[in-house]
Amino acid sequence: MASPESRPAAGKTRARVWSTNRGGRLRLRTPRPIRAAAVSGLVALAVTASILPTEGVAQGGASSPGESRLRPTPNVKGRAFYFTRAVYTDVERRNTFGWWSVDYPKADRQFLIGLKRLTGIDAYDLENPVRLDDPNLRRYPMVYAVEVGHMALTETERAGLRDFLMAGGILVADDFWGSWEWANFQAQMERVLPGYPIIDLPLDHPLLHVFYDLTEVLQVPNVGLGRAGGRTWEKDGYTAALRGIFDEDGRLLVVINWNSDLGDAWEWAEDPYYPIQFSNFAYQLGVNVVVYAMSH
Amino acid sequence: MLESIFSFLFKYRPAVYQRGQLGFESPLPFAMVAIGVAALLLVVLLTYRRARHRVGRRDVLILAGLRAAALGLLLFAMLRPVMVVATVVPQENILAVVLDDSRSMQLADQGGEPRSDFLTNTFASEESTLLDALGERFALRFFRFGRDVARHDVSQPLGFGETRTNLGRALAGVRRELAGVPLAGVVLVTDGADNAAAELTEPLLAYQSDGVPIYTVGVGRDVLPRDIEVSRVEAPQQVLEGSSVMVDVMLTQTGFRGDRVTLNVEDAGRIVNSQEVRLAGDREATMVRVKLTASEAGTRLFRFHVPPQSGELVVENNARDVMITVEDRREKILYFEGEPRFEVKFIRRAVAEDENIQLVTLQRTAESKYLRLGVDGPDELAAGFPETPEELFAYRGLILGSVEASFFTHAQLAMIEEFVGRRGGGLLVLGGRKAFSEGGYAGTPLESVLPVVLGRDADPEFFREVEVRPTPAGLGHPVTRLADDTDQSSERWSMLPPVSVLNPLGQTKPGASTLLTGRAEESGDSYVVLAFQRYGKGKAIAFAAQDSWLWQMHADMPLDDMTHETYWRQMLRWLVSNVPDPIAVTTPMEQVEPGESVTITADIRDSSYLGINGAQVEASVTDPLGVEETHPLEWTVTEDGAYRTSFTAEVAGRYDIRVEARRGDGVLGEDRVEIRAEPQPTEFFSPAMRAALLKDIATQTGGRFYTEASLGGLAEDVRYTEAGTTKRESHDLWDLPILFLALLAFLASEWILRRRRGLA
Repeated sequence: MASPESRPAAGKTRARVWSTNRGGRLRLRTPRPIRAAAVSGLVALAVTASILPTEGVAQGGASSPGESRLRPTPNVKGRAFYFTRAVYTDVERRNTFGWWSVDYPKADRQFLIGLKRLTGIDAYDLENPVRLDDPNLRRYPMVYAVEVGHMALTETERAGLRDFLMAGGILVADDFWGSWEWANFQAQMERVLPGYPIIDLPLDHPLLHVFYDLTEVLQVPNVGLGRAGGRTWEKDGYTAALRGIFDEDGRLLVVINWNSDLGDAWEWAEDPYYPIQFSNFAYQLGVNVVVYAMSH
Repeated sequence: MLESIFSFLFKYRPAVYQRGQLGFESPLPFAMVAIGVAALLLVVLLTYRRARHRVGRRDVLILAGLRAAALGLLLFAMLRPVMVVATVVPQENILAVVLDDSRSMQLADQGGEPRSDFLTNTFASEESTLLDALGERFALRFFRFGRDVARHDVSQPLGFGETRTNLGRALAGVRRELAGVPLAGVVLVTDGADNAAAELTEPLLAYQSDGVPIYTVGVGRDVLPRDIEVSRVEAPQQVLEGSSVMVDVMLTQTGFRGDRVTLNVEDAGRIVNSQEVRLAGDREATMVRVKLTASEAGTRLFRFHVPPQSGELVVENNARDVMITVEDRREKILYFEGEPRFEVKFIRRAVAEDENIQLVTLQRTAESKYLRLGVDGPDELAAGFPETPEELFAYRGLILGSVEASFFTHAQLAMIEEFVGRRGGGLLVLGGRKAFSEGGYAGTPLESVLPVVLGRDADPEFFREVEVRPTPAGLGHPVTRLADDTDQSSERWSMLPPVSVLNPLGQTKPGASTLLTGRAEESGDSYVVLAFQRYGKGKAIAFAAQDSWLWQMHADMPLDDMTHETYWRQMLRWLVSNVPDPIAVTTPMEQVEPGESVTITADIRDSSYLGINGAQVEASVTDPLGVEETHPLEWTVTEDGAYRTSFTAEVAGRYDIRVEARRGDGVLGEDRVEIRAEPQPTEFFSPAMRAALLKDIATQTGGRFYTEASLGGLAEDVRYTEAGTTKRESHDLWDLPILFLALLAFLASEWILRRRRGLA
């Protein structure tokens, strides 16, 4: 388990946190001419991404940082899917705007735009952060968590997440890199699901074929590295891995996307300098995870 | 008693008045009588006119009335009234005496004497005075009946061993036997405990048109003082292994009103369920719902049994046996979902461990993009939703999720309608933003299939969170019953978190049953959540909730709660229950008497469930001794695809019937059914004498109903009949004692009144 003194290693991630929070409102860049050869769905996506969703914007984006903004109870009920982000306590003992809120809420919204374009899912347009110890978590059977290498779950969060998973929910962990963060995440999962092994998902696992037929697991770099066009790895996380935790009946409880950053790829999908193959893969894997979670 | 008083006062038996016609044989012409009447009235009025001032107007009217009535009676008698009635010519007519030879006649409810004693002494003995009286006027022909009817030699004793009472067949048989002879009437001596499924109407109509009266003699008491009976057991004939089976048991009783008794259910001698039942009032039905689990595959014999209580005259009717075939097979259900929804995941999860359900899921994940789950091979549903009946009808159940009607072609919608109506499949339509009216189903072929009324106007914005509660019908239904007893079930429903509905279903169709309703928390409005109806050969169910997965996921639900799994498991098992196969064999009864004939009916259909008439169909019947016999089945001609044959179950035990259908060289398929031949205590069910039925038979044919007490008039009554060779007889009425008494009463009253008023 990570010690409370541990400090986040990547300064860039912290910077991203502030950049999304400072204005209190989404700051989207005006799209520049886009490179050719983009997947048609993503062209449409990029264009759409420049138009802010109107549904519930006032509630989701206008308020200043604080507790109320963490819990924008969806003002539209009865939708089939709410993209739900796990709010957790991190190693710095923060649960308002800590590591959980990296890329929030722009990545969430942009992913939802893509998800709705590409599938027939009746999804709510905005982000939906829910604390792991909130009973309402159980209303959203799929929950997405980022920077899980910095997780330091409280006892109530641990119990909340465990009950959520045992009742039938699925956790998608994303954007954590290298062996130190892996070790912390693994330790946290051992607290939540003691004795459940973490297993590499084989390339023929239905998760990779349920909507898009994915034949490889790409390493999706963060926005800085992606724009630079050089290496894609961070820390000592040289190879991306897609892993899972299963229950006794073979049901997938946790999808683990290690050494890869889907969130950044969604958040910067419209950025012409961010390589299209990464955002393309990030959307494809994201869509597959959602369709899988809603059917398996 | 009443009849003796009547006969004393009116000189003749009621039958004379029933059948005769009133006439007058007066030697005086009518005009003269009329003048006489007028003159008399005048005299009466004049007589009392003078007394008017002394006694008052009211008394004058009474006195004049009394005197007029007395004079009127005299006049009536002087007109010489007569009853003209047809009577038989002695010894020129036949009277049939039909005697009940069944086991129920052995019941000793006639003051401790068996019913058979009375029957033998009165109708089957050479010393009988009644038979002598009848024999004076008629040639008597005796018959005895049980399952069938036969001539009876009165010098031989009756056995009272017949295991069924078939009144319809007996009456038809007597009529056939005595066709062409002058039949003046039939005397039917029975307890009326008819237990054959045969119709009575047709034989009675024949007697009615012949004008032959049936005189019924009821033997035995019409109410047994103390008796408990398992009157009916209703259970499905076939269930899937591991299913919960709901069995309705009806108990009736006399003399144990309000008592508590135990109802036991035995499976091969082992008690599998036992519950205490509080009995309703005398002759009222007590309904008991028993939940059983069909644990082992095969044909199971369940016995529903109430231990004999003290003072019961008949204990044979305290138990009933029911055969249930427990099938161990995988039932294929197609679930077509129009969009990714968590409902898919959780329904699949709920039935994942059910070995008997194969939920094939076809989910439209994007426009023209499908996800197939649980398919048998790469070709199944490769082209999306089935286009042909052969493909669709291979499934036994169909679930439609949130998918708009315009997705389907008209032919596909019509095919879904036929899936229910003709194929007999189960259809379940789930609520969602593209379901029901909101999915544009109003006006499509599916509208008539659905158990709910679809509004013409869709309401895409509709959303309500509703608390779901079972209706009284839902509390005991195999889908919505969540616990062994209804109170527990009701409590579990009240603990479930609210779910949401996007389709405002307010009304069910006539004939549909509502099992669950939902009350909106804010407005208090009520909506239909679960309803079903039979449609053609199948059934259609509407389930409005779009997120029943909350019954699994919600934070209020304990992790080990199985409500969601139970509900969906029960739902899908019921969805495919009693869905016919293309080759289906049935017998009218699963339990028969040894020696009874068994009709085998086979319904032979092709893969699109159209009847095949040119098939070669053969039944192999293996009897309890292991001897196999084959019987070819013949097409019935009246119904497409229906074939029939029969065999006699001579030996007691179980019979295995396997029917195979072929066309040309190809085998169409086979089906099997098992029946049991055992001596049945059928005769002891409803063993009381059925007075109402016997009265009805008599009234409809112009006869009369008698009991032991009123039997004295029978010999006289049977004389008056229109049937057979008859002559007209006039019976004088002028000297009726009642007339004389009435005359005396009028005159005496007048005289007493006059004395009181000082007129005499």
